Amino acid sequence: MDAFVSLAHGLTVAIQPMNLLFALIGVLLGTAVGVLPGIGPALTVALLLPITFKLDPAGSIIMFAGIYYGGMYGGSTTAILINTPGESASMATALEGNLMAKAGRGGPALATAAIGSFVAGTIATLGLSLLAPYLVDIAVSFGPEDYFALMVVAFVTVSATFGDSPVRGLTSLFIGLLLGLVGIDILSGQSRLSFGVPELYDNIEVTTLAVGLFAVGEALYVASRRHIHEEKLEPVRGSLWMTKEDWKRSWLPWLRGTAYGFPIGALPAGGAEIPTFLSYATEKRLTKHPEDFGKGAIEGVAGPEAANNAAAAGTLVPLLTLGLPTSATAAMMLAGFQQYGLNPGPLLFADRPDLVWGLIASLFIANAMLLVLNLPLVGLWVRLLAIPQPWLYAGILVFATMGTIAANPSPVELIMLTVFGILGFLMRRFDFPIAPVVVGLILGPVAESQLRRALSISLGDPMVLLQSPISATLLFIALVALIAPFVLKGLGRFKAVED
Amino acid sequence: MTPSPQRRVDVAGLVIALVLLVLAGLVWWDMTKLQILSPYDLGPKVMPIVVSTCLVLLAIGNGIGALRGDLPARDSLDWMPIVLILGGLVCLIALIGLGGGFILGTAILFATTSRAFGRRAFLVDFLIGLVLAVLVYVLFSKLLALSLPAGPLERLI
Amino acid sequence: MSQYRKGLWRGALAAAAVAGFVTSAAAQMELKIMAPAAPGGGWDQTARSMQQVLSQSGIAKSVQVTNVPGAGGSIGIAQFVNNSKGDGNQLMVMGYVMVGALLTNKSPVTLDQTTPIARLTTEYEAIVVPANSPIKDARELAAAIKADPAKVTWAGGSAGGVDHIAAALFAKAAGADPTKINYIPFSGGGEALAAILGGKVTAGISGYGEFESQVKAGKLRLIGLTSAKKTANVDVPSIKEQGIDLEIANWRAVVAPPGISADQKKALTDAMDRMAKSKEWQDLLKQKGWEDAYMSGDAFTKNLADEQNRTKEVLTAVGLVKS
Repeated sequence: MDAFVSLAHGLTVAIQPMNLLFALIGVLLGTAVGVLPGIGPALTVALLLPITFKLDPAGSIIMFAGIYYGGMYGGSTTAILINTPGESASMATALEGNLMAKAGRGGPALATAAIGSFVAGTIATLGLSLLAPYLVDIAVSFGPEDYFALMVVAFVTVSATFGDSPVRGLTSLFIGLLLGLVGIDILSGQSRLSFGVPELYDNIEVTTLAVGLFAVGEALYVASRRHIHEEKLEPVRGSLWMTKEDWKRSWLPWLRGTAYGFPIGALPAGGAEIPTFLSYATEKRLTKHPEDFGKGAIEGVAGPEAANNAAAAGTLVPLLTLGLPTSATAAMMLAGFQQYGLNPGPLLFADRPDLVWGLIASLFIANAMLLVLNLPLVGLWVRLLAIPQPWLYAGILVFATMGTIAANPSPVELIMLTVFGILGFLMRRFDFPIAPVVVGLILGPVAESQLRRALSISLGDPMVLLQSPISATLLFIALVALIAPFVLKGLGRFKAVED
Repeated sequence: MTPSPQRRVDVAGLVIALVLLVLAGLVWWDMTKLQILSPYDLGPKVMPIVVSTCLVLLAIGNGIGALRGDLPARDSLDWMPIVLILGGLVCLIALIGLGGGFILGTAILFATTSRAFGRRAFLVDFLIGLVLAVLVYVLFSKLLALSLPAGPLERLI
Repeated sequence: MSQYRKGLWRGALAAAAVAGFVTSAAAQMELKIMAPAAPGGGWDQTARSMQQVLSQSGIAKSVQVTNVPGAGGSIGIAQFVNNSKGDGNQLMVMGYVMVGALLTNKSPVTLDQTTPIARLTTEYEAIVVPANSPIKDARELAAAIKADPAKVTWAGGSAGGVDHIAAALFAKAAGADPTKINYIPFSGGGEALAAILGGKVTAGISGYGEFESQVKAGKLRLIGLTSAKKTANVDVPSIKEQGIDLEIANWRAVVAPPGISADQKKALTDAMDRMAKSKEWQDLLKQKGWEDAYMSGDAFTKNLADEQNRTKEVLTAVGLVKS
């Protein structure tokens, strides 16, 4: 119960008016940059570091935490409203969220995202304060072979995003895997599929691909069909708020999303994207309304949104307990700590408990602030969709290119965005699913490099995949997930015959 | 290219299969040029080989689908808006590449996209785009100290 | 403005500088510093720190930082060399990592095309092992590598980077074949650190800053730093002092565009000299935990050339650069 006493003490630090103000500035800034594709919390913290140096440590670190959480909220808003995921972790949200917005259910989609983020953020922050020391031991014991096994599980589960035709789904996936090859191979240091273009050496940016496929591709597609099919957007159809039914369909996905996001986020190479896709796939499989998926199912928004916020809290586990920065933002927060001569890690909890617990407490506060800020804004955000269609899409394109330019002001990056836009258009026209391309780009390189690391350590012995208990268990789960649908189908047929 | 009920072979589908085949060849060709092989792990060639092989299989799969003509039906296509939007993007890329600046390029993109979606007030839209871009530029350079690509217009600010 | 008039104008400026207005000319300086990396990284932080100090202390009138990320600096340097020729108001931050990246990326632009101005900071590499490892010091690690380089797995940063080069140099100094080292690159510092803490690899190699808190907490054992002599912040003798001939540092420096005049070079060097001596800069180094390694003029030019030659040798030996 020590944790609770410390947390209570931390709360007294966090609710000092100045610190509250910093948290507020942080969440506002975070939401603003989270909205912009390409500009994430990491960049913002980096740019603010020199400015915040003169502030007191607690204040500025609390502000950074606010930016971090705020970024996760902001990313989902644009994903839902204009199909432009601000962060790669908001990609899964865009899948169903944007469909909901187009059906006039943007209000409930934004609400379930905000409330789900709050629920997940709160549970995960609680997990951070109570379980961090235990979780971190497990997290560090994850070796390359275990990550590879986790990727296998992810590949098997995300096949749920493939749509009806396995050939077309796999084609999309392999296009993504091909794109994942582009750039310098981290293990051997030589470039693949770069054709001597230095801009391609740094791998394809996930947000560039996602924004190209989703936002630019969609704009092209809608524009090319205007003469046949005039798209009519109604900002609100039915209730602006979540109905009782929406609540009923959201709360379990929130909890399951948290259960994916927090532990995977705590893994040093886990990341926030994988849990969102796992959550999406799970919800699609478990839903009682499978007919809604592909038309805007609220479960497909609630789950991934909870997952990415829980993952954000998870990332802080290795950062605070070990000083391990496992995401770009965490690395910048580490730099933030270090500029005050503080080294996160095993000693920080003992040396500066006021700071650590003040930070954790302010995470709760930032979370609550975000909910209070975002819910009333839902009505306003949804009105965005009432902008005349020409201006709405023009704005979306300006938005999409601006994020890319700000993150990397090179024509090559914009050319890639345009090419991905054309790809997204063609894929829509010929009915290829889009999400697997992004999944392939995210998972492919990780799976490859982790497998190669594992084999390098074992000197080429593939048995290492089965000798590690974690890896063996995960591979077993993947096998079950792969076979189960067929077995169940067989059983169903068997039963049908019995009847 | 729209499949008519009489002809079941889908030419576009065959083109897709061909493109996949070309991509597979490209990946394979690129793989053969890798020189550095890691002494202990699988090396950088395995993944390209897997991707290339699977792309060949998928090309065959897509090809069979096209021959059977079981691609989903497609509507006719209006090329004008596509040309406009892509033209706006190309303008933006060229302006940034040649140092014409972010503001001008963004304003053009805004106007062409708006035109693609049926508005005819090109000049008004251009001005709206200009105001939007100036706002964004000022916000970025003053608030975040992030310099967007500058051209003649940006230097005036 | 024609090339001729531009030249005339510059000549006038230079004459003014020679006439004893060196300081005031420098104060008029409107510097542009390029960080050939995305915002947030080490080079960007260096550029922005310089910006802060130069404008606060009045050494330059205004300082603007631009970011040109990509390919370990290869994209930035290409743009710098091609677009800023003869511009005496531009600087680019670079570092040891760029020396290797230009070689492995087969960049058409090289550092020889730039005008070296000054080296600013340095960070030594540290070799660590998990706390429960049987390996106690550099000699034992060297012996293990000599016995079988495959069995000693290293975790560090990207292939061809300074960590990789240092590991190869260690193996070479230990008398093993540097092409046979089992070096495993990780994408982020955190990931490599997790692998070392989890005991997945034999040893880890990275800048000391990455390991410091773990070493102090007793979770990692420091084998040694790659400095010539033991530094004040650690308790362990340097690797060289332990008898393994390895000395390497990950430094950061600034260079100017090609084709600038001697006077322009002097003005920039003077500005850097003044910056390095300023209290603001010294405070900033302390705050960031960067080690001062200031060196300017011909000494740095020679140092840069030496580092390039040595790096090319190592990378060729390891097989990352085909000669």
